[in-house]
Amino acid sequence: MRSELVHPAVAVAGVSKVFNRGSANQVDALVDVDLVVAPGEFVSLIGPSGCGKSTLLRLIAHLIEPSSGNVLVNGKSASQARLDQEYGMAFQQAGLFDWRSVAKNVELPLELKGWDKKRRAARAREMLELVKLGDFVDHRPWQLSGGMQQRVAIARALAAHPPLLLMDEPFGALDEMTREHMQAELLRICDETRTSVVFVTHSIPEAVYLSDRVVVMSPRPGRITDVVDVDLGRDRDDDTREDDAFYRKIIEVREALRNGGHDTTVDHETVDPDAVGHPLLGVDDR
Amino acid sequence: MTRRRLRTFALALVGLLAVAVLWEFYKLVGPQRGGEIFGWGILPRANDNVMPHVWDMFARYTEPDRRGSETRIWQTVLGGGWFTFRLAFLGFAIGAVVGVGLAVLMARFRVVERGLLPYLVVSQTVPLIALAPLVVSWGGRVQVGDFVWPRWLSASVLGAFLAFFPVAVGTLRGLKSSPPAALELMDSYAASWRSSLFKLRFPAAVPQIVPALRLAATASVVGVVVAEISTGLQGGIGRLVIEYARQATSDPAKVYTAVFGAALVGLGMAGIVALLDKLLMRGRPPTEPDIVMGATT
Ligand SMILES: Nc1ncnc2c1ncn2[C@@H]1O[C@H](COP(=O)(O)OP(=O)(O)O)[C@@H](O)[C@H]1O
Ligand SMILES: [Mg+2]
Repeated sequence: MRSELVHPAVAVAGVSKVFNRGSANQVDALVDVDLVVAPGEFVSLIGPSGCGKSTLLRLIAHLIEPSSGNVLVNGKSASQARLDQEYGMAFQQAGLFDWRSVAKNVELPLELKGWDKKRRAARAREMLELVKLGDFVDHRPWQLSGGMQQRVAIARALAAHPPLLLMDEPFGALDEMTREHMQAELLRICDETRTSVVFVTHSIPEAVYLSDRVVVMSPRPGRITDVVDVDLGRDRDDDTREDDAFYRKIIEVREALRNGGHDTTVDHETVDPDAVGHPLLGVDDR
Repeated sequence: MTRRRLRTFALALVGLLAVAVLWEFYKLVGPQRGGEIFGWGILPRANDNVMPHVWDMFARYTEPDRRGSETRIWQTVLGGGWFTFRLAFLGFAIGAVVGVGLAVLMARFRVVERGLLPYLVVSQTVPLIALAPLVVSWGGRVQVGDFVWPRWLSASVLGAFLAFFPVAVGTLRGLKSSPPAALELMDSYAASWRSSLFKLRFPAAVPQIVPALRLAATASVVGVVVAEISTGLQGGIGRLVIEYARQATSDPAKVYTAVFGAALVGLGMAGIVALLDKLLMRGRPPTEPDIVMGATT
């Protein structure tokens, strides 16, 4: 086993982020955050709007620098990891370039890595087949539905075979049915490619369905208040969504969100799903 | 699509016809010696000296360009139009290149933008008529090796002087209008400024560059024609307009042949830009240019 494989996919240690320090609109976006993501692990960040989920993701991506603390990606500094394209990124907007064909959109990160044309085309086709869009190689992004566009964005994020995928509410703009379908697809793709994922979401069921661990955050100042292990096994399908264990996890995350930093413990084993209200309701924080 | 284009064409023809009909209608009912409304002499004279018949204008095309000459007016006008068109095209090309170059510089360096943009704006307030003789005399002094500045190049330069401005401003706006999410995506690839210029900013600016080019095309024709007139450059449509206008007392219809020729040059340039539009916007969404990128913020 090569040594790089034993590094955590992400190691965030004692990271704080202050925006506009010293001015009247200073924001303590993140305070003293620690997070380790193991290789191949799927971790969701959940919490109300403004609790610093996107900020944490952007710190890992080295799109911004931490005010203090340290971020390692795959054993490298975040800045080096970005230069080496150790991660791929996907946002709520697919963000495809409408002057490029679907395949050329997927090729974009490969062009920037200096791959030759033939190799790029082959990889783009491979990635598009992975997201089941093999028939749409020459289409234009604007000819595709929202869900298909998002799948192209995922193919683009994974095109260079990065070990890590960073996603910021990628399915937030999709309808519920498409969304569930995309979740299942994402799990399949990440299993096939052994990609680690840090996934920002508003939706509790989405977080529970996808994740090995759900990281619960709370705002003002932004911090991690709880981490929920989701031991539902890796083989998850539509039946998983109707499992009792699935419901219990949803309730557990929901409780963790409601407590949001208050030190109350709930005995999850004795909670009756019906008594807690609507376990499928997401965190409404728009 | 072709149906729609056919309709546009038909509408344009109908529009032209309507103008001709209006012209003739006014000649029919308008006052022969002009008229006053509330004491202002604003009604033009409808007599044949001031407003020749439309058919007289077109009839001139088949007449000899001057007494005893073999060449017909339509040949002279076409020749002059072609001369002016080439100068205008060169001016347009120079203006587009300079405009895009300046826009890139300004987008890259804020200092350049803040230092240069005000002067670019001011430059457009300088009257072309005043500038034309200056450019000619500067050009006369240019001599690099075997290259001697030809007189006609001054006209192209003046066309470029008017053309570069809309291109610079439009391109700059376009270069700065890339969606933040797209810029962040390029950042996440650690893309160099050059890469993000060619792979994101330029293509994203195209919907703003094309209308700027359209303005530049018209501007370059105006610049060249005005330069021809004010520097006395022979061979172009600007010169013909002046020459025929001098004969207006004896032949009022003749000058219109040259005026229509100038319009034809403008149409030709518009056609060039339409082609560029087609080329640059290939594969883009038919209506909304930003349908996919969306408005992120
Ligand atoms: N570039 C920035 N400048 C100033 N404040 C920012 C910036 N980015 C985020 N913030 C602030 O940091 C906090 C966390 O934002 P964000 O990470 O986007 O939250 P979330 O993604 O969880 O909704 C918010 O209060 C937001 O206003
Ligand atoms: Mg966010």
